[in-house]
Amino acid sequence: MTATVKHEPRSRPRIGSHAFLMLLLAAFLAPVAWALVSAFKPAGDIVSSPLSFDPSAFTLDNYRAMFQDVPIGQGFANTAVVLVFKGAITMFFAPLAAYAFAKYRFVGQNLIFGAVLVTLMLPTIVLIIPLLLEMKALGWVNTYQALILPGAVDAFAIFWMRQVISAVPDELMDAARVDGCGEFGIFWRVIVPVIRPGLAGLGVLTIMNIYNDFVWPVVVASNERMATLQVVLSTLAQNITGNRIGADYATVTGELLAASSVALIPLLVLFILLQRHFINGIMAGSVKG
Amino acid sequence: MTTVAATHSAGPSGRRRRTSTSGLRRRLAPYVFVLPFVAIFLAFSVYPLFYTARLSFTNWHGTGAAEWVGWDNYTYLLTSPAFWSSLGNSAVLWLLIIPVQLVLGVLVAVLLGSAKLKLRGLYRVAFIVPFVTPLVAVAQIWVVLFDQHYGAVNALLGLVGLPDVGWLTTSAWAKPTLALLFLWKTTGFIVIILLSGLQSINGQIYEAAEIDGASKARQLWSITVPLLRRTVMFAVVLQTLAVFQMFAEPFVVTQGGPYNSTTTAGYYLYNHITRADLGTGAANSFLLVILVMVLSLMFVRMLRAKD
Repeated sequence: MTATVKHEPRSRPRIGSHAFLMLLLAAFLAPVAWALVSAFKPAGDIVSSPLSFDPSAFTLDNYRAMFQDVPIGQGFANTAVVLVFKGAITMFFAPLAAYAFAKYRFVGQNLIFGAVLVTLMLPTIVLIIPLLLEMKALGWVNTYQALILPGAVDAFAIFWMRQVISAVPDELMDAARVDGCGEFGIFWRVIVPVIRPGLAGLGVLTIMNIYNDFVWPVVVASNERMATLQVVLSTLAQNITGNRIGADYATVTGELLAASSVALIPLLVLFILLQRHFINGIMAGSVKG
Repeated sequence: MTTVAATHSAGPSGRRRRTSTSGLRRRLAPYVFVLPFVAIFLAFSVYPLFYTARLSFTNWHGTGAAEWVGWDNYTYLLTSPAFWSSLGNSAVLWLLIIPVQLVLGVLVAVLLGSAKLKLRGLYRVAFIVPFVTPLVAVAQIWVVLFDQHYGAVNALLGLVGLPDVGWLTTSAWAKPTLALLFLWKTTGFIVIILLSGLQSINGQIYEAAEIDGASKARQLWSITVPLLRRTVMFAVVLQTLAVFQMFAEPFVVTQGGPYNSTTTAGYYLYNHITRADLGTGAANSFLLVILVMVLSLMFVRMLRAKD
C-alpha cells in the first residue's frame, strides 16, 4: 500500500454517500410532506389514489369540515395557556436555580443537586398514577394547574443552565457587586444578558417539549374542555365520527390529515426560523447523561 | 458620584457593617433561588414516589378503603402472562429498533461529520425534522399511510407489483410498523448525539491511519466505532428507556392490538389506570423502573468491562 492509492477513488464514494443521504432524506421528509399535500386533496381522492398529485383539484374542504367537527381551537387555546405559564416558570426559575448551583456554595447544595439528577433519570411513567391521585385529592383533575405545575421547574433545564452559567467569569459578578448590585440583580443584569444564546436554545427546547407533551395531559386532562392540542389529536377519529353523522372513511381521513397538518405547521415554522437554536438545544439535550 | 464618596468616607466600621448584611444576603440568596424547584420536587416527585410505594401493597381501586395486600400485586404481575407479554412486546420492539438505529445513526453521523460534504447543513436540518414534529400528529399520519386498503404505502408497493400488507391489522406486521414510526421519529436525534461524540475524536488519528494506507471502511470500523463506543452506549441507554416507556405510538396507532401484539410495557401500565386497578398499576410502575434501571446498569457495565 502506498500513498498514491488513496487519491484515486475519491469521487465514487462521494456520489454513493450523496445517493444514500438523499434517499434517507426523502424517507424522512416524505410522511410529513405527503400529509401536508394530501390534506388539500378532495377526501375521496386521498383514499382512492393516495399517490396522485393534481394541484388544480386542491380544496380547503377537509380543513373546513375539520374545524367544524374537531375542537381543535380549544386544544390550541389550552396548549397556549400551558405553554405560556409552564414555559415562563421554567424559563425563569430553572436558570435562577442553576445560578445558585453554579455560583454559590451552600449547605445542602449537593443533596439538592442530587434531587435534580434523580428527577432527570426517573422514568415519567413511575409517577403517573400517584400524581393522578394527588391531583384528584387536590381537586385538580382537568384543570390548568394540573397541566402546568408538575415538572414546571424542569430538571434538565437546571442541569443544562448550570453548565452554561458556570462558564460565566466570576470577575463579571464581582464587578457588579462592587457597583452595589444585589444577588438577584447580578443574576438579572449580569448573568441573563451573557447567557442569552443558551436561553434561546432552552426556549425552543421548552416550547417543543410542552407543545408535544402527551402522556401526562392525556391522563390528567382528558375532558373536551381541558384537552390540549395533542390530546385532541389523539382521539381524532372518535371526534370526527362522533360529530358527523354518516362520516365515511374518506371524510374521516381527510379531516385527520387536515388536523395533523394544523398541529405540525406551528412547530415546523418555528423550526425553520430558529433551526440553529433548535439544534443547539437538542445537542445540549443529547449530553444530559 | 457623591454617594460613592460618602460610603468611602464612612470609614472602616461603616464598610464592615455593609459587607456583613450583604454577606448574610449572599448566604441566604441561593436557598431562595432553589426554593421553587425544591417545592415542586417535594410536592410532585418525592410525595408521589412514596405514595406509589405504599399504594403498590394495596388493592385500591380509586374509591373506598384501601386494603393492605402485602406482596400480592407483585406476585400477581410476575405470574401474569399479560405482564410478561407486554415486556416481551417491548423487548421485540427494542430488537427491531436499536440495531437498525445504531447502524443508520453511525453511518449518517460519519457522513455528516465530514467537513468536505456538500449540503451538510441541509441534511442535518432535514434529519431533525421528524424529531421536532409532534408524535401524536405523526402517529395519526401513520394510521392513514399504513392503512391496508387505502394507504399510500400499499399503493407504493402495488406500483412494483407487491401484494397489500396488513400493516396495522396483522400481529406479524403491527410491531414492525410501530418500530418504523419510532425509528423515523428519533433517528435524527441519535445522529445529533453521535455527531457530538464524533467531534471529540482527534482528527490526527485519521491522518495517521491514512498515511498507513487504511481504507475509509477500515478507518470506520477500526477507529470511529471503538472510539464512539461511549457515545453509542449512552444512546442505547436513552433509547432503551424510551422504548420500554413507549406509549403514544400504540395508544394512537394500534390501541395495543391486534391481539395485544403492540401492548407495550408502557401501554399495559396505562391499562391499569383505565381499569382503576391502581394498586397493581403502582406495583407495575416499580417493576418497570427496576427493569429499566437493571438494563441501563447492564449497558454501563458492558462499557466499563471493555475499557
